[in-house]
Amino acid sequence: MRSLVLSLLLIAGLPGISSAGYREDFAREFMSKTWSGERIEENACIDCHASERMKPVFREIVDEWRKSWHAQNDITCHDCHGGDPKDPSLAMSHQQRGFIGVPPYAKIPDLCGRCHVGILRYFNESGHGKALRTSGKGPHCVVCHGSHNIQKANIEIISEQRCSKCHTYGRAQDMKQAMFLVEKKITEIEDGIKALRRAGIYPEEQEQAFFSTQAEFRTLFHTVDVNLVKERTGEYTRKLDDIEKGISGTFADLRSRKNFSGFLMLLVSGMGVVMLLLSKTPKE
Amino acid sequence: MWDRVRNWLDVRIGINDLVEEEVRAYRVPKNINIFYTLGVVTIAGYLIQVITGILLLIYYVPHPDHAFQSVQGIMNKVPFGWLFRQMHVMGSNLLIGVVFAHMLTVFLMGNYKRPRELTWIVGALLLFVSVAFGFSGYLLPWTQLSYWATTVATAIPTAVPYMGDLVANVLRGGESVTGATLSRFFAFHISILPPIFLMLLGLHLFLTKRIGISGTPFGLSAEEKRPWTEYHKKNHPDGYPYYPRFFQKDLFMVMVYLAVMFFLITFAPNLFFPGDATMPADPYRTPASIRPEWYLLAPYQMLKIIPNKFLGVIIQVALFVLFLFWPFFDTEKEKNIMKRPFLRGMFLAAFALWVILMFWGRS
Ligand code: HEC
Ligand code: HEC
Ligand code: HEC
Ligand code: HEC
Ligand code: HEC
Repeated sequence: MRSLVLSLLLIAGLPGISSAGYREDFAREFMSKTWSGERIEENACIDCHASERMKPVFREIVDEWRKSWHAQNDITCHDCHGGDPKDPSLAMSHQQRGFIGVPPYAKIPDLCGRCHVGILRYFNESGHGKALRTSGKGPHCVVCHGSHNIQKANIEIISEQRCSKCHTYGRAQDMKQAMFLVEKKITEIEDGIKALRRAGIYPEEQEQAFFSTQAEFRTLFHTVDVNLVKERTGEYTRKLDDIEKGISGTFADLRSRKNFSGFLMLLVSGMGVVMLLLSKTPKE
Repeated sequence: MWDRVRNWLDVRIGINDLVEEEVRAYRVPKNINIFYTLGVVTIAGYLIQVITGILLLIYYVPHPDHAFQSVQGIMNKVPFGWLFRQMHVMGSNLLIGVVFAHMLTVFLMGNYKRPRELTWIVGALLLFVSVAFGFSGYLLPWTQLSYWATTVATAIPTAVPYMGDLVANVLRGGESVTGATLSRFFAFHISILPPIFLMLLGLHLFLTKRIGISGTPFGLSAEEKRPWTEYHKKNHPDGYPYYPRFFQKDLFMVMVYLAVMFFLITFAPNLFFPGDATMPADPYRTPASIRPEWYLLAPYQMLKIIPNKFLGVIIQVALFVLFLFWPFFDTEKEKNIMKRPFLRGMFLAAFALWVILMFWGRS
């Protein structure tokens, strides 16, 4: 019997071993490649700009961009610079492929504003926007956010080093103080949402409300109008308070769940002890 | 009243005899130990899966656009939905642990030996079905974790030449994990596996009943060594009655199972929900680390470290066959593993390898 099974195994295994060289490519790729099959696309801009042909300062741009929040949201070179990433030879052709290249200093807000529409509007109406258009002295988006390694924005962008280049830091500081209350709430809620996620809850409703409120407020900053921000602080704290209430309600839920399953645990443990004692008592 | 009901039943289905024979007169061997309760614990665990599973089924929507939402709804809106989901998830993992433990103790006590080969084989198939339950259920919440674990696991068959792609495509219902895969796994989980499971379980119970419970190899075991060429039921006239003493032990262990389950739900509710399990599946974003369920980690890691994938799959199939037909490979009469140093050594080595591969696969 044993020898029969063994020989059957051998017969089944032999062709396997003989064709073991089959599909080496599979072996190479197996479990190491990224599995998002559809996403393996060619991007001529990145290929060429990351290659040895490029001068080192330019090559760094690709590395910078890779770290950015834009890269994580699939905003790539041609989304900002135009051109055609699928056609290496004509990629940077202005006429045929709508390549924009690097716009002049004062036109940069328009480049970013194609997507960040609301911000562009506020920015254009602001002291900064007006100064940029009239005298070319105002800051544009890249001055505060950078161009390639753009990260998620927060109040820390307002710093002495950045904001005292053109005027005293006092103005910037006033702004920062005006925003402080709401920003603090924003960080608290962010932490709360993170904690909920760690607890296995996906607070979709609160998250959506939070993101839109936060984006609205951060957009408002671009007016650089201290009075306006102060005026609307009340409105934003109220909205954020509501969201916070939802989050702490969920936490209370989690606590009562814990109590309930703890109670069930004690209950079955008690029943277990009873059973154990019963089974130990002598019978007959 | 009770007597009349009982009498009515006795006339029709002979309940008195049934109770007398199966409950009162049924005796278990004297040297039986607590590990003999694991079979009953498994059945109880399955029962819990069925009940909680049906409750989940009421609210779950097997569609890629709604699956994640519906599971979140179960967790946050449906009254006590969180409890059913938690019980189902914890239960599925604990259950596989208990099935493992059941087989392990049966193995160590040599109780798979003649004439119980079939019982072992059916049991091994039941383990396989349990893992298939876990594997198919894992995808259903449609989270990043489940999506990518399934993507990786369904890629394993593609290591087999000629047939591999076909098998993988049949599993997934296409080239990659999509809504078609979800439908397939859902059907598999709730309507294909259960009848298979019930049939195997029936057979398993029939075999244990027919052949009778074996004594442990420790102490009085001489009788087990006689050749088994003709059937006679093994009963234990000198053993103690199953009811109530051993029945109470069974219930005790079921309570232990439940207590562990509620302990985990209370103090480690996220044990099986790491970060990626709270994100909806996104086919365009590969998470940093992909790994399958813990009980598939060892085979998965083994595949990863064997340079030739096809060879890896062949080895795994061979190991599976060895495991399934183990009673035919091990024809030694001695049941007591303590008296078989070679087998003991092999077993310890295999067990250590399993644990190492599992933890290796985690990192
Ligand atoms: C075949 C190689 C190649 C490809 C493909 C390519 N570039 Fe370039 N790119 C260059 C070179 C070379 C320069 C010039 C560097 C210099 O000024 O020294 C350049 C310069 C640029 C500049 C700066 C232009 C300026 O006016 O200063 C931008 C912006 C740019 N590329 C964007 C892109 C985008 C967007 C794409 C894809 C649609 C792309 N490139 C594709 C090679 C390439
Ligand atoms: C969010 C929009 C955005 C994206 C995405 C982006 N760029 Fe730019 N890029 C700019 C802006 C704005 C400037 C001009 C400001 C500056 O010089 O920093 C610029 C400047 C450049 C320059 C000229 C730098 C110089 O010193 O003259 C090059 C080259 C360039 N980008 C290449 C790329 C490549 C390659 C990618 C893709 C990996 C890319 N950019 C992605 C916005 C972007
Ligand atoms: C092609 C459209 C597009 C262009 C052009 C673009 N962005 Fe973005 N940007 C996005 C998207 C999409 C996101 C990510 C979504 C989000 O976080 O709101 C984003 C996110 C950001 C963020 C982080 C937002 C946060 O949540 O904190 C900043 C800052 C930013 N962009 C600045 C810029 C600047 C500066 C430019 C011009 C140099 C620019 N963007 C050009 C699409 C664009
Ligand atoms: C590139 C130069 C430049 C930089 C950098 C700069 N600003 Fe300004 N800022 C200006 C100019 C120009 C004005 C408008 C002219 C004026 O009122 O003096 C202005 C005005 C302001 C005002 C008053 C606006 C009003 O309408 O009264 C505030 C507030 C302000 N800036 C905040 C900041 C903050 C905060 C930062 C840093 C994140 C910053 N600025 C960085 C150039 C700059
Ligand atoms: C004076 C510096 C400055 C300039 C100029 C500037 N920003 Fe900002 N931006 C900030 C600061 C500071 C924040 C964070 C505000 C906060 O934390 O409330 C921010 C936030 C943002 C955000 C995040 C909004 C969100 O949804 O969370 C985006 C996007 C953005 N800026 C885009 C732009 C664009 C596009 C331009 C050009 C039109 C621009 N910024 C110009 C300083 C600047």
